[in-house]
Amino acid sequence: MPKHYRPPGKKKEGNVAKYVTRSQAVKLLQVNLSTFRRLCILKGVFPREPKKKVKGNHHTYYHLKDIMFVKHDPLLEKFREMRTYDKKLKKAVAKKNKDLYERLRTRKPTYTLDRLILERYPKFADALRDLDDCLSMVHLFAALPALERENIEVKRIHNCRKLSHEWQAYIARTHKLRKVFISVKGIYYQAEVEGQKITWLTPHALQQVLPDDVDYNVMLTFLEFYETLVAFVNFKLYHSISVKYPPILDPQLEALAEELYALSRYLDANTRSSRPSGSNQVESQENEKQHDESDLRLAQLQHQLPHNEPGALMHLVEDAAGEDEEDEDTKECENLFKDMKFFLGREVPRESLLFVIPAFGGIVSWERDGAPFREADQSITHQIVDRPTQGHIFLSREYVQPQWIYDCVNARIILPTEGYLVGRVPPPHLSPFVDNEAEGYVPDYAETIKHLQAAASNEVLPMPGTVKEDLEDPQRLLVEGIIDRAEANEAAEKKRKMATLEKQYHDELKLELEGAQYSSSMINQNMESNAASGEAREKPVPDLQQIADDSANMSKIVMSRKKRRLLEAMEIGKKRKQANVDLLKERKKKSEAGQSSKEK
Amino acid sequence: MGKVSKGSRKGKKAWRANISTEDIHDFFEKSTKDALSGGSLAAVPSESLFFVDKARDLSVKRKIEKQREKVLRTDSVLQKNPFVQAVPSTVSKKSRKKRKEVVNNGGQGDNEDASVSVSGMVDLWADKFDGKLKKKPKHSIIPAVEVEPPGCSFNPSFESHQDSLACAVADEMQKVYKHELGPEPVPLTVQGEVIDEEDMYFLEADNGGDDDSSLENLDGDENKATENRSSKSKPVTRVELNRRARRKDLLKKEAETKKIDQLSKEIDSLPDIIQEIAKEDEEKQRRHLRRVVAQQEREKLRPPRLGKHKFEPAPMQVLLSEEITGSLRQLKGCSTLAKDRFKSLEKRGLVVPTARNRRSRR
Repeated sequence: MPKHYRPPGKKKEGNVAKYVTRSQAVKLLQVNLSTFRRLCILKGVFPREPKKKVKGNHHTYYHLKDIMFVKHDPLLEKFREMRTYDKKLKKAVAKKNKDLYERLRTRKPTYTLDRLILERYPKFADALRDLDDCLSMVHLFAALPALERENIEVKRIHNCRKLSHEWQAYIARTHKLRKVFISVKGIYYQAEVEGQKITWLTPHALQQVLPDDVDYNVMLTFLEFYETLVAFVNFKLYHSISVKYPPILDPQLEALAEELYALSRYLDANTRSSRPSGSNQVESQENEKQHDESDLRLAQLQHQLPHNEPGALMHLVEDAAGEDEEDEDTKECENLFKDMKFFLGREVPRESLLFVIPAFGGIVSWERDGAPFREADQSITHQIVDRPTQGHIFLSREYVQPQWIYDCVNARIILPTEGYLVGRVPPPHLSPFVDNEAEGYVPDYAETIKHLQAAASNEVLPMPGTVKEDLEDPQRLLVEGIIDRAEANEAAEKKRKMATLEKQYHDELKLELEGAQYSSSMINQNMESNAASGEAREKPVPDLQQIADDSANMSKIVMSRKKRRLLEAMEIGKKRKQANVDLLKERKKKSEAGQSSKEK
Repeated sequence: MGKVSKGSRKGKKAWRANISTEDIHDFFEKSTKDALSGGSLAAVPSESLFFVDKARDLSVKRKIEKQREKVLRTDSVLQKNPFVQAVPSTVSKKSRKKRKEVVNNGGQGDNEDASVSVSGMVDLWADKFDGKLKKKPKHSIIPAVEVEPPGCSFNPSFESHQDSLACAVADEMQKVYKHELGPEPVPLTVQGEVIDEEDMYFLEADNGGDDDSSLENLDGDENKATENRSSKSKPVTRVELNRRARRKDLLKKEAETKKIDQLSKEIDSLPDIIQEIAKEDEEKQRRHLRRVVAQQEREKLRPPRLGKHKFEPAPMQVLLSEEITGSLRQLKGCSTLAKDRFKSLEKRGLVVPTARNRRSRR
């Protein structure tokens, strides 16, 4: 008898019943493998790792419930329908029936993914939480070349480009951008939308290549879902700031590949026109519905608008300031580059800077047709250049490298420009995603930035006790408070000791003077009382520690065993990190020593 | 005396004698029979032979009806009894209600679709979701976009850059060491001549080590034989049996005393034992802890094994020390971000790693 003999008629149970291999799943759904793959990606069903791999280690397993979930989706039927339709098309081609082919081709069945999106993300917050991957993918495909061989169509690339610009325009308009980090791989951005932190990665402005070892069919299926999701999210976000979606752009700017600028202007114009009164907005919307052609004209009018007043974006900022719902962080962000005008040189990454500078309240222009103002404009305060030497110099502005912008953004203060001037090697670009306190290691430049921040916040807020930095991390405040109190206690204790000593001395003097023996008992009493009071007062110092320990222990005791072990595991991790930090410090010390010896 | 020859039997006469005329006879018989009975039936048209009976056979029908009207006892038992309460349906009212709601919702959805805006977009999350959320299993704890360490910045600080470089170098060296220290691959060809079958025979004969085993077998047989002989030769006497019984008792007693001694010893060393147990427990706990930590770290590092092939992480994108210029313009950025995204999909367990990428790397 085999080891796992199951008498006939007995139901399967355990992992055999719960999991099926991929080929079994394909058979169960009666589709071909490629359709199965598509369905799984669109439906959000992914392979799992069962505890017991019944069919062996070289199979991919799916949960049977997941497969049933896919089986009951209408999309499955739709895919089958499309397959049969394709057969019809093929047949028409083979029979050289051109008319039939044309007729069939124009009426191909299509499908939409709205229902699936709602199914997978029942709440808007869920969708936002999962947006990291979507945005990265959309931004990536916006930069990829269209390739016939890999089935990457131009239309989709353009769509991705459009979606990414719409997203960036929204983030810039609402000043939601928080962090930027330029790595070798690409540029990381982090924004905070409705309390969700969204991180995405965009490629550098380089020619992207398509490596061979990537399955582009899979990527494109993912992209298909993500495109739809990002479009719906953009729709919702645009409507939340009462702007129509999809936006109508100025064709002239679009032709110049300045979609982002065109979008920001569109947002500007629309929010301003819609804000004064709600009824007006409704009217205008109705009007727009009535005359679709007038939209185009409107877009062209937008184009005229900023030429008359170069500070169009300034209005935008003023308008936004009127909103009361915004939090402290957003306000800080939108006022960072206030009253500053930037001009970008040809050699700097324009797309990124055009996104970042307006997101922090700055006004920006560049060297091309359709730009808001020219290089010769006297009101420009900073020119962003990235070349060894600058030939023609306007004395009224500062010439800085692009890294300055990113560092300012991450530090949230206007850093001094000396280090970033033309031709110099700028200070290191630090990652804002690293929590220095948690890591325990603080680079030198981070410390200087911290000092600058403290100085800046003190300038703005001269009130004592409300230092911004301290407000930011209450934990440190607490620690400092404890230290302060401990110090104060120590001082008080010293005083008390001095006082008791003095008292004793006085008493002794008295005793000598009086020469009486009877008071010795009194002195003793006195001393005892003093000592007792001293003890009573002494207590608070160790008490603090004791209390802290006790509270930690209490929470440890209350925790379940599983949690306690997890905590212990975390502590081990912390220790390891500390060891790493120590290693780093040592290494740095060594390197410094080596350098100094070399200099000698 | 000469005999008169009979002549050939193959002649015409013989033929005539052998031809049967039965069928002719039959025909004659039949025709005469027909003529006597008044003509053959085959020639008569079917109408004259058959007719459609349109008269009703009432009695038969009544019989059947009567049978049908009769209700069987089994059926009568199953029929509705006014005094017996109906068994409640297994489908509860709640679920029925829900189904109705779903149907209603579906209807609303259709209405909404009808009022879709010109662009074909609707606010998907317009109406508040109030249904119970089905908790989905979180697929992986690895974030979708992993931010690179600070050493991978385009203009990193010296220490963090050294740190990242060290990581990258360690990865590379690990690969090298694995290649060097791993077992040598089995060679595809071996030097030497081809051995034909006859030689193979000899080789096998030489290898055969059955000499020793046969010797051993012989020894064993001898022993067995002697034992048998002895048992046969000496029958067990009563004395012997008694002795055996006594010996058994003695052994039992000894074992008992030993056990008691042991127990008393253990009672004496109870604190030690308790300590030992505590130590063991501690050790167990520590082992468990280690395992938990290791598991977590493993999950963070790499996805579950989903298919035939292991996930291989992409190498870290870090600048060399000479490449750091501090200028964004001169940065040699990564131009294969598509691969990075694909690796991320694989790492999160959304895509099963395949051999294709491995082959192309080599």
